[in-house]
Amino acid sequence: MIGINEIQLFILAILPIYVVAFVLYTIRALRGPSVSDMVLAIDAMSYDLAAFLVILAIYFKQPILIPVAIALALWIYSLDIYVSKYLEGKELGE
Amino acid sequence: MTVLDTVLIIIGEIMIGIGAISDLIAAIGMNRFPNFYLRLHAATIGTIWGAFLPLIGAAFVATGCECLGDYRWFMAGGALITAFIVLILGPAGSHALARGTHRAGIVPVEPKVVDHLEEDESLPASPETEEGKNEEEGESP
Repeated sequence: MIGINEIQLFILAILPIYVVAFVLYTIRALRGPSVSDMVLAIDAMSYDLAAFLVILAIYFKQPILIPVAIALALWIYSLDIYVSKYLEGKELGE
Repeated sequence: MTVLDTVLIIIGEIMIGIGAISDLIAAIGMNRFPNFYLRLHAATIGTIWGAFLPLIGAAFVATGCECLGDYRWFMAGGALITAFIVLILGPAGSHALARGTHRAGIVPVEPKVVDHLEEDESLPASPETEEGKNEEEGESP
């Protein structure tokens, strides 16, 4: 039978992979040649950060982290739409 | 705890592990690909395999673990809703960003064999060469 201790041990073993991935995404977001590269790196990193927050909510047994992940996913979509709208029409619109 | 809970937790942990490895692969690909249009491939891997699959796995783990208390259904439902949002909005955002970048022309399409989108964008400059539409745009001499 699997209890909370085994789940926490598994998540603790998974966490460094996510941290290394976030560091690599941050490197691309800082030295991207164009604006699109930066926005694409931040886009992928933030969707992974939403999944990371849900996993952390299981690890810490704190359900208050779940609405943070939903709001983060929605705001990153708005970032994509605003940047692509600015690149296409050179204006933000309303 | 029944056998079904154990099976749910094991399946969820396998999904979270696959998601973490795919996330690392996508981050490496984001640094190794030479061009923006090639980095879209790595970004799509990081969005679907690196975010959607661990969210489904986290929903399974939160469903199967009775030790999380009464809030585990809230956590499972929130994880499922976040997974659905990521599944719908991730490819839509990447597509919009690629379209805007191609329209702005700030990144050259480097390994190009054929580019139908560029041909379609340059087509309204000479509409009389199109043989299909000849009634509506006929006001120009």
